[in-house]
Amino acid sequence: MVLKSFTQMETESFDDLIFGHAKNPVEVGWEQKIGYGNVVPNVKIADDDDKAVKAICSRVEAIGLPAIQIEIENATKDSAALAAANEQLEALHENIGTKASIMVSVADDRVEKEGLRESDADVAITETLESNAQNGASILSMETIGGAEVCNFAIKKADPRALLYGVGVLGSIDMEYMWTKISDIAGKNNVAPGGDSATAQANSVMYKASGLTEEKTAHTLAAVGRAMAAVRSLVAIECGATGPTKDAAYENPIIKAITGVPISAQPRNADSGNSVLTSNLSASVCDVWTEDLDNLGNGASLMNAATQIGTNKELRASYAMADKYRDPQGVILAYDNAYKIGEAIIAEDSAYTRSAAAASKAIELINEAIDDKKLYITKFERDSLDSAQKTIEQLPDKEKKFLKTCLKRYGKKVKTHDPAQYEL
Amino acid sequence: MVSLDEYYENIEDYENIAVRYNVVMYGPALKPEEDPEVAEILPEDPMKREIALAVLHGDMNLTNEKTQEGLDAGGDPVDLINNALMKGMDSVSALYTKGIYFLPDLMLSGDAMMSGVNLCESSMGHKADSKASVMSFAVEGDPHDIGKNLVVMFLNANGYDAVDLGRDVPAADVVEKAKEVNPAVMTATALMTTTMTQFEVIVAALQEAGLDIPVGCGGGAVRRDFVEETPQTFYGVAAYHMPKIADAIVDDGKTWEDIRNEYQDIVGEYVKGYAE
Repeated sequence: MVLKSFTQMETESFDDLIFGHAKNPVEVGWEQKIGYGNVVPNVKIADDDDKAVKAICSRVEAIGLPAIQIEIENATKDSAALAAANEQLEALHENIGTKASIMVSVADDRVEKEGLRESDADVAITETLESNAQNGASILSMETIGGAEVCNFAIKKADPRALLYGVGVLGSIDMEYMWTKISDIAGKNNVAPGGDSATAQANSVMYKASGLTEEKTAHTLAAVGRAMAAVRSLVAIECGATGPTKDAAYENPIIKAITGVPISAQPRNADSGNSVLTSNLSASVCDVWTEDLDNLGNGASLMNAATQIGTNKELRASYAMADKYRDPQGVILAYDNAYKIGEAIIAEDSAYTRSAAAASKAIELINEAIDDKKLYITKFERDSLDSAQKTIEQLPDKEKKFLKTCLKRYGKKVKTHDPAQYEL
Repeated sequence: MVSLDEYYENIEDYENIAVRYNVVMYGPALKPEEDPEVAEILPEDPMKREIALAVLHGDMNLTNEKTQEGLDAGGDPVDLINNALMKGMDSVSALYTKGIYFLPDLMLSGDAMMSGVNLCESSMGHKADSKASVMSFAVEGDPHDIGKNLVVMFLNANGYDAVDLGRDVPAADVVEKAKEVNPAVMTATALMTTTMTQFEVIVAALQEAGLDIPVGCGGGAVRRDFVEETPQTFYGVAAYHMPKIADAIVDDGKTWEDIRNEYQDIVGEYVKGYAE
């Protein structure tokens, strides 16, 4: 259930979007303050890697980190890593005063054709979330898969309409279902509902687009899909999520601009080795910064030093400018433009019109960068951008009409898609 | 409040930060007006530039709108034709020659240009002065006229009065019209091997009427050696060559024999078929 539909920007201006500071900060775990001024380092561990916790705690002590967050990926119901982290971080906090928190990311292994709601997989997710919340998690997060089947089709066919339907509309519908539930579980257990990432949707497009020279999926289309993903990820916050959000949600700068919740970011997808062309840019407005154990805390302490010296805005600009014109995705996620996309989103009130507005603004911003001769694109990227623009411009005003077309078109073509799972 | 791109102003060379290697490898997607050759052709005057760009983008409505604005602002119709509309079309030719623009682009831009020219001419109250008349037709029995249409468009775009006789035109009609128009040169096109035999028939009819007008012959199946079996003819390879050939005839007094011998020099490029 949507508790609050954003109609104005919580972050007052693009200049207020900066690492470490969030308009609506949160306190979680063991005195862990996120978004109050300091960036918190995050390290990911696998659910069965409970031994890693000890190494992390030693590292924190050895190099003097004031704060640490451990994120347990694909956390299971009886997570060994969660038990270890809960015990050892509490001890670390008690013994040497380190501020600490644990984020769990629960795997979404629902299969659309087998049921997104109340299916066995869905019930199991609920049980895992409840168990994690009762057993030491400070923050619940997920990467919900709603709309992913249509999104995969959209990537294969380079179909911007399917992308909007899959990421923007179906993604949002499923998010509302899932995050109403997660917020409820979090509330009952006094932990934070963090946020969601369009990993199965927008990140798939980005990874398919991959490196610069592969030209499989156009990076321009990936950027447009990313803007749409912000509409979807926003739904978590509208259903009660408070942040910190998931670091894999590259659309996070837009979410922070709109909602003021603290966000997480990662310099690259360390575990998959995929090409992410916005590694530095992601740091520019983050509140939680994920790094490998080897580098743990380096990035966060640099940012926190800059905040105290007063050079944080220059560092922010350096981070952002390092990637802004590397790729179309950098253009739309740089904090100035992310803010503009946020404004375009909140001017609309349905997932459909918001996604169209986000896409349209992203296209406009990319074209501006090209006109200013700051970004150069290939003909392949140009054609894809123009095609997306044409599609967006020709969309019907009424959501009903759009859905009718999509149900007719993708209901049949995408064999793994079941509109009933979205109550369509 | 410092905007992010104010910092960009300090960056001397972004390529020391990031290189888009895909653009390096495949080339940037240039807008038509950004092509270096086109940039040279386009007029600098903002009003004329807008007209030329409208033609270049194949936008007939915009071409009409901008041409009318130019005329309403007191622009000289002849100046607008020569230095705005035709510059747009010259740019189109340049891109077509390079293989960046294709046939549909030519057609759209050609229509846009002619529509603008018509506006200018109705403002003048008469047709614009042309370099000379040139007659174009597809020969008797041949309904294929795309090539002929292109020739007409390129001639119009280059200041010639291109008299279009249409397609499936009998030799007798050609002779009759030639007497009336007295063209500097004419073009006969044929797609099929069965109709290209008409070239010989046309030349015989012209000679019988005492007309020694050169006839440029071209078309899908047409080959140089076939054309050159008939006197008074030359083999035309590409539609966009025709204005240059007409210039050579009108300005330099070149004959059909000169054109056969100097084709590549006249059109200013390597032409397969004339190279050996």
